Amino acid sequence: MAAEITESFECFGSRCSVVVSGGTPESTAGAAASHARRELLSWHRRFSRFIPDSELSRLNADPRSEVPVSALMARFAQVALEAATMTGGLVDATLLDEIESAGYDGDLGHRLPLEMALKLAPPRTPASPAALERWHQIHVDAANGIIARPPGLKLDSGGLAKGLFADVLAEELSGHDAFAINCGGDIHVGGTAALERPIRVESPFDGRILHTFELAHTGVATSGIGRRSWLDGSGRPAHHLLDPASGRPAFTGIVQVTALAPSAALAEIHAKAAILSGPRLAHARLPHGGVIVYDDRSHRVIQPPPAITLRDLSALIQSPASSAAHHV
Amino acid sequence: MNPNDEPAPDRPATDRLDARKLAASRREAMRRRARRIRRSVAGLAVALFTAAFLAVYVQLASGHDPALTAAKRRTSATSLKASAEQTSTEAAPAEESSTSSSGESSSGESSSSSTGAESSSTETSESPSAVTTSQS
Repeated sequence: MAAEITESFECFGSRCSVVVSGGTPESTAGAAASHARRELLSWHRRFSRFIPDSELSRLNADPRSEVPVSALMARFAQVALEAATMTGGLVDATLLDEIESAGYDGDLGHRLPLEMALKLAPPRTPASPAALERWHQIHVDAANGIIARPPGLKLDSGGLAKGLFADVLAEELSGHDAFAINCGGDIHVGGTAALERPIRVESPFDGRILHTFELAHTGVATSGIGRRSWLDGSGRPAHHLLDPASGRPAFTGIVQVTALAPSAALAEIHAKAAILSGPRLAHARLPHGGVIVYDDRSHRVIQPPPAITLRDLSALIQSPASSAAHHV
Repeated sequence: MNPNDEPAPDRPATDRLDARKLAASRREAMRRRARRIRRSVAGLAVALFTAAFLAVYVQLASGHDPALTAAKRRTSATSLKASAEQTSTEAAPAEESSTSSSGESSSGESSSSSTGAESSSTETSESPSAVTTSQS
């Protein structure tokens, strides 16, 4: 295969990378990777809630009920709405006040080790949607670039934005032989050459590789409570995945979920919904496959649904008896 | 009266009726045959089209697009050629590497360097490099 160009850099408070191989008539792999890096850094400045003059901060502080926004911000709001609609409000991007109340309002400072957070955590219960369902009050006019919501209702970009950015870049890089965009754990891989790329899932406890998927076109997202845990003002363990019903960090019995999906944004929605659903229902939230890591360090791999190949079809036609025997 | 004219045969009414029935049945048989031929031709055309469509559909849906395979072969050939060229000019920087004033670095084939926060590298391998997903 052609040489792979890799750009690796800090962005969104974590490590990001862009891998591209093969050129197009418009761009070389190196130019495309550099462009993708510049775009991600620029989007970070626009979508960070920690930067006071970012587009997201200005939207959240805007006293108008209808706010003109950029096309990408409108698209993000649509993804946030889709996430809430798909999960019945379980994945809710309007909990910014709650997450700031829990202590995530800037630099986290001293981080709490995962084992310690799990020891101090309350009894495990699945999360559930908020009774208020504020997300119902958001309306997006993508054609005119307007977000309508009651003033004071704030959006949190979180992982959904990273998934969206990976998908937007994937659209731009779709003409190259192969590419992989990793926005701090939210990944989109693809390319015209349809080469299968190893996608490794890391343990939140010790960083070892729990499982490796080999896929040519997919979105991947990992959501969990391990990396960003802290003690709140009352000495309780906290993290950034909130139970919408209580507005408090959710301890469900799952510490990390990696989800596969056709897009990274959808994978992010599945991953968050799975972790919030708890161990009993998590696997049902992963229709395209994934890996669930539980509190007791055990994990479960859910393989993606098998793709039917020409070889499978011909084998089925030629020897149905042997195929049936194999399944028995 | 013309002497050459022969008197019309005095057919019974039943014979005339039979002749009409015979003609009608022959006409009907011809129509049936035409319908049968038309149906056969239409059925054959539909069957041929469906078979061809299914063959192409299954081929593409199973990920065995011949155009992509050809592109992959071309890519491999180009990669080998590029690899040979880079080996002969080891000191030259890789064509697709980039350098910017922000401090990120460029490097040649199978090597990488970084300034801590940002890095750029070019690698050639037989298969795509792995990506690792972890909590952000």
